[in-house]
Amino acid sequence: MPAFHAGIAPRLEDLRDEFDRLWTSLTAAPPLHGWPATPAERLFPAVNVSESDEAILVEAELPGLDASDVDISVAGDELVLRGSRTGRPEQPAGNGEKPAAVTWHRRERGSGTFERRIELPVAVDATRVEARLVDGVLTVTCPKAPQAQPRKVAVRSS
Amino acid sequence: MATETQTELTYRPNVDICDCGAEVLIVADVPGATPDAIDVSFDDGVLSVHAPVAARTLPGRILQQEYGIGDYRRSFKLGDGFDASLISAECRRGVLEIHVPRLAAVRPRKIAVRTA
Repeated sequence: MPAFHAGIAPRLEDLRDEFDRLWTSLTAAPPLHGWPATPAERLFPAVNVSESDEAILVEAELPGLDASDVDISVAGDELVLRGSRTGRPEQPAGNGEKPAAVTWHRRERGSGTFERRIELPVAVDATRVEARLVDGVLTVTCPKAPQAQPRKVAVRSS
Repeated sequence: MATETQTELTYRPNVDICDCGAEVLIVADVPGATPDAIDVSFDDGVLSVHAPVAARTLPGRILQQEYGIGDYRRSFKLGDGFDASLISAECRRGVLEIHVPRLAAVRPRKIAVRTA
């Protein structure tokens, strides 16, 4: 991690950042079915998934991306999110001809390509999957296939 | 999950911080934040960011929850030599960019060396 200040200050600040990260990971609600084998923070994007009577809903945080930057597909019993996020160049061009001399004090925002596969618990109708991306939050609605939807059985009285 | 407590949790956004000489640029990931409600303030050399996030819940039964939802808060100690009146910020697609210009008097200046 690059030092932000000289002397002892960066170590203390880095330590505080570590505690902040640890605290955030502890206070974030754990998944109902336990933590996955791979730490979720290494998977990008992190997702929240829910199931209603009609659909499986997947939400993911994708700041900085346009709808056209994300490729969403259903393959078998998996929903696949693919895309890429471009990072800032190491040396952004300045106003003059030569690139401005810049110093990065923090580079915490990830960049590059990603692929995330989310297992769907029931069969979905791939032709009716809808997605929207608003303020960096992607919401994918996967309507359940008719055979996977709950069916109400009318009880006849004799 | 206790949805009524979601807005009480605050999260620390990931940032890139770039010192570009004439200004310091801070780029923060704040997905889900309401752009109009973001508060950026600069006081005594400390830049503070509070990006409120409207509570939202997925309908039905939660199957997997990898992240929590709540406001973003983070402060940055920048020190003196910045022009608070010229600080500007914009938020697009869940990414907040804050430009903090240095006072003209303290900007790094390149001195041309003349040859005799």
